[in-house]
Parts: sequence; structure tokens; C-alpha cells
Amino acid sequence: MLNRILAVLLVAGALWSCGAEDAQLPILGQKTTDENGKVIEHTIPDFSFVNQYGDTITQNLFDNKIYVSDFFFTSCPTICPVMKSQMIRVYDHFKNNEQVMILSHSIDPYHDSVAVLKDYADALGIVGDKWQFVTGDQDAIYDIGQNAYLVTAAEDTVAAEETGGFIHSGAFILVDKKKRVRGLYDGTLEDQVSQLIRDIELLLKEEDE
Amino acid sequence: MNKLLLVISIACMGVSCTSADELEYEQYLVNGEAIYKAECANCHGQKGEGLRNLYPALKGNGALENSDKVICSIKNGISADKAKSSQAMPPNAKLFDLDVAQLVTYLNKEFGSNKDKITDKQVKMALDNCRD
Ligand code: HEC
Repeated sequence: MLNRILAVLLVAGALWSCGAEDAQLPILGQKTTDENGKVIEHTIPDFSFVNQYGDTITQNLFDNKIYVSDFFFTSCPTICPVMKSQMIRVYDHFKNNEQVMILSHSIDPYHDSVAVLKDYADALGIVGDKWQFVTGDQDAIYDIGQNAYLVTAAEDTVAAEETGGFIHSGAFILVDKKKRVRGLYDGTLEDQVSQLIRDIELLLKEEDE
Repeated sequence: MNKLLLVISIACMGVSCTSADELEYEQYLVNGEAIYKAECANCHGQKGEGLRNLYPALKGNGALENSDKVICSIKNGISADKAKSSQAMPPNAKLFDLDVAQLVTYLNKEFGSNKDKITDKQVKMALDNCRD
């Protein structure tokens, strides 16, 4: 999985350095053509999940927002705590920028009830709407991970007995205001998360034009 | 790690410095640190700093004063209903008594106030007396 991410990043990096003059993030995912031959970019489809406040949220909440998405579960002893401490860096960095949000999906909806998610967010000191912790139908979460956010498809790099058998990746996925995937980062690595923060800043400028 | 041990042993050959006990203590610290990094640092942080209110800091944590209780927590975990926070700590059933001894020796030295070396016998005794 990590190798895959690296490969994507490498390719992305290669493409990117060609147009170094006006640096732009790549647009990831499979493009398709509609019946009129028009190219359609890969975008995140509509979804509906329940957040840590018990509210049902849909893609509307992210209208005109740049957001970072990931997959975790609260009882995960392995990579999730590290991912969360890295995501806190993103949260803190963009604390006062309403255009940036975070969407963390639980892949263990049976255990991670609304109350459990609320406790978790509280313990991390997360307030308000900026960082959404969501739960929902397990199949829907797995499906959106694999097909929309381009992660979790491969098996985990961490031993199954340690993850409780859950398949998940440590990826952070950067989504732009047009709901396109613009980057995949290893959320367990400080360097990559620093890159993500810089890329969000780049994206904010791009969107401003 | 092996390199470190090698350096230590060479150092000890040169000068008749460290006693066998001290050498063993050093070994415990080296192994204990490796176990800490592999099994605990994800939650409690590389430097024992913890993660906000989710996972408690171990550095300077008074809980380390009671090694027997720490040993039980490591081996058996802390279930969510017994936890002071809302979070559970997972058990580490696969650790041998000697692993736990080395780990707790490291915790004491690195984060605690007592520099006691814990033996595997102590671990066994503590585990026999864990209050569920
Ligand atoms: C999945 C995250 C996680 C991992 C991995 C983890 N812990 Fe913990 N640990 C916790 C939580 C949560 C608590 C607090 C429980 C509570 O609220 O009582 C805790 C508490 C403790 C305490 C304090 C106990 C007390 O009585 O206050 C010690 C000491 C400790 N852990 C040591 C370790 C050691 C050593 C390891 C590695 C073998 C480890 N932990 C691995 C989450 C974790």
C-alpha cells in the first residue's frame, strides 16, 4: 500500500516538476469520457454519514471547502494514534481558515458509536465543525475508501491480528473544492504531512484565482 | 542495537569498568527501549509525551511509582470501563516476563523517578497478584 502511495507520489512529482513555473497539484484518479466524448474527472460521489454530534452530514457540508480525509478506528493500537497526532498538525495549522476541513471515517462503525466518537474528539481537544469524525454503514465506508478516495484497496501493511482484522491504510487524502483528489500522503510520516500542509496552501492559492 | 552492545562490551574489556550487573542493566535498557518503541510509543509518544487527553503522558506519570500495577496494565491492558479516560489500553499477552521486566526497567529510568531494575521474577510475582 505504502509503495503504491509512493509510486503515485513519484509519478505525481514527475508530472509536477515539468510545469514547475506555475506549480500545480495533479488531479488523481481515473478519467472517463461520457457519451459525448467529454472527459470527466474523478470526483468524490455523494455520501451520507453520522458525525460525532449525531448529525447526519452529506457532501454539502464540504461545498466550497478543501478537505483532508482519512480512515481510522478509535480502538486501533497501531498507526491510528500516530496519524491522529499528525492530523492535529493540519488542524492546528488551518485552525482559523474556514476553507479547510477534515473528514475522518471510522472503519469500525459497530464499536465507534456517536458517543465513542464524541469522547475521542473531546479527548483530542477538537471543537466545532472543522474536523468531522463520522460513522455509518460499513460497506458504504469501505466502498467510498476504495473507489472514491483511492485507498484501502490493498491489504494493510500492519499485521491483521494487531489491527483487529480491519483493512486500512495510513493515507491522508487531499480533496479540492471541486471534489477532486489532489494528493495522497502517508499520514504516519511527519515529512509527508508537512508536504500536505504546503500543498493545501498551494491549493488555497489556486482556488483564489 | 547489537552495535551498542558490542561497544559496551568492548568498553568493559578495556577498562575493568562496569560490573556484570551494570552491563545487564544496560542490556535491559536497550531491549526495553526497543519494546517501548514497538508496542507503546504509538499511543504514549516516542518521548513519553502522550497525546492530549486521549493517551496519558508517561513522562513523570505517578503511576510509574507502582511497578506491580504497571506490570499488570502492560500485560492485561486496561479495559475501557476501568480506564480513567474513555480509552482502553490493549493487552500485550504476547510479551514474555523478561520482556516486561526490561520494558518496565526502561520506563522507570526514562520516565519515572525510581531507577530500579525489574527482574522477570518480580514480573511473574506481580502478574500472579493482579487484581483482575
Ligand atoms: C492503544 C493505545 C495504547 C497503547 C498501544 C499503550 N497504551 Fe498505555 N495507556 C493507554 C490509555 C488510553 C491509558 C489510560 C487508561 C486509563 O484511562 O486509565 C494508558 C495508561 C497507561 C499507563 C498508566 C496506568 C495507570 O495506572 O495510570 C501506563 C504505565 C501505560 N499505559 C504504559 C504502557 C506501556 C508500557 C505500553 C506498551 C506495552 C502501553 N502503555 C501501550 C493507551 C495505550
